[in-house]
Amino acid sequence: MFQNRAEALALALPAAVFAAIVFLAPVVILLAEGFRSADSWSLSAYTTFFSDPLNRTVFLRTFRLGLMVTVVSAVIGYAAAFAIVNLTPRNKGQMIGLVVLPLMISSVARTYAWIVILGRTGIVNQALQLVGLSDEPIRFLFTETAVFIGLLQLFLPLMILSLISALENMPKDAIPAARVLGANWFQVFFKVILPLTKEGLVIGGTLVFTGSLTAYITPAILGGSKVLMLETLLYQRVTVANDFVAASVIAFILIVMSFAANLLLKRLATARNKR
Amino acid sequence: MTPRIFTPLVLFLVIGFLIGPFFIIVAASLSGGETLAFPPQGFSLKWVAKVFTVESFQESFAISMLLAIGGTAAALVLGVPASYALSRYKLPFGETIRTIVSLPIIVPGIIVGLALLRYIVVPFGLNITLTLFLAHTALVLPYAVRVVSASLNNLRSDIEEAAVLLGSSRAGAFFRVVMPNIRSGILAAFILGFVTSFNQVPVSLFLSGPGVRTLPIDMLSYMEITYDPSVAALSALLAFMSIGIVFLAERFLGFSRYV
Repeated sequence: MFQNRAEALALALPAAVFAAIVFLAPVVILLAEGFRSADSWSLSAYTTFFSDPLNRTVFLRTFRLGLMVTVVSAVIGYAAAFAIVNLTPRNKGQMIGLVVLPLMISSVARTYAWIVILGRTGIVNQALQLVGLSDEPIRFLFTETAVFIGLLQLFLPLMILSLISALENMPKDAIPAARVLGANWFQVFFKVILPLTKEGLVIGGTLVFTGSLTAYITPAILGGSKVLMLETLLYQRVTVANDFVAASVIAFILIVMSFAANLLLKRLATARNKR
Repeated sequence: MTPRIFTPLVLFLVIGFLIGPFFIIVAASLSGGETLAFPPQGFSLKWVAKVFTVESFQESFAISMLLAIGGTAAALVLGVPASYALSRYKLPFGETIRTIVSLPIIVPGIIVGLALLRYIVVPFGLNITLTLFLAHTALVLPYAVRVVSASLNNLRSDIEEAAVLLGSSRAGAFFRVVMPNIRSGILAAFILGFVTSFNQVPVSLFLSGPGVRTLPIDMLSYMEITYDPSVAALSALLAFMSIGIVFLAERFLGFSRYV
């Protein structure tokens, strides 16, 4: 540990001042704008925002989709993580590589693939018509289902990776012990695995939930203006209506959510370090 | 269900869901047809070739490259000394400084882009390219600080203290003793920053002017007007680029230790 404070500040301040000017100050001013009305502080922007039924719909839809993606990714995540940790070390490494791989690919490219799959002449529609389940193409694009699938594919790897590390930290003999004592697989999951991997579930869940809440590309490409989410609504409010007050309200909602999630994660991390 | 059936079935379905779309993009981009379709109509490389001839792609690729390389380099110039101060010195307000430089990772990018447009570009008339550069630098800064800090914390601090005791200046000790030891950490931070910046969409969404667009933004607007497989081809090429970079990094640096 060096003691020279002036030297320390000289090293650290450029980065801090840069982030404060380029990032912190503009964002704070933007958020403050939502609490101003005619030269005084007020919440009128928020009451106006939530009195519009479209805004309420988008707000609720964003939370609903976020929640659904989180829950479904947890269910699939447990199955996948459980299958992966039980592989031989060599296969396990390869599988983890395959789970990480999509994270390295641009989300524009990843989302674009769903147009090929779900479009009017896409694979799903072709298959449905081939087996005679439908006579004409079903519209999947620009529906909540499409956005849901896109988000799930985008964020599932984060859940699987969190659950893999949680399952690996579990005592190796917990499951065989419960089995020997007569627990069925249902009991093993809810009484043994779930309590012991709770933290990994919360970490993965927070990442997936905030990721879905603040996604832009997926709802923009797969939802369009028919299935707006908070970020696409923000973009539309600014570009179509020049409505910066609504944008500030949405920004505030998104930031509060992200911060709450981050605080939760930090708290979990420190709790784990203490143990 | 027995584990013997369960494991391969689950893995097949999940990995198929995660990776499958990527193969479909690759297949669709090799189509000989005029519109985006799967299965591809015949085989041809014409869409892959077309990507290289679209002028706006060339321009936006150059801008994205410039931002990713320049922004990450700038973030490291700011981030390496800051990480050093945070890990080796008794820094006044250390936690506050760490929080401020880590914030850009938490705040959704679209908000940063809008705030910069409204309070920096418009009132000060700042050039869009320069603003994009500043935004991408801020965006990469948290990654730079996190990865370089991790690498500094893994390095024992007594070797530089020894260098100072033996008569080296503090700066000399840093450049001759610390730097060579955290070189792969810095390289890992550079690669992570590059990939993050290059694939970044929301920050750049509002910060696009005439003739100034990053590649992902350009792809988004191209696919709104044209329904041909060239975006699929470009997506596939970019995916191969990212995978290649990360694969090499993992091979030579053990990249995953830092991320």
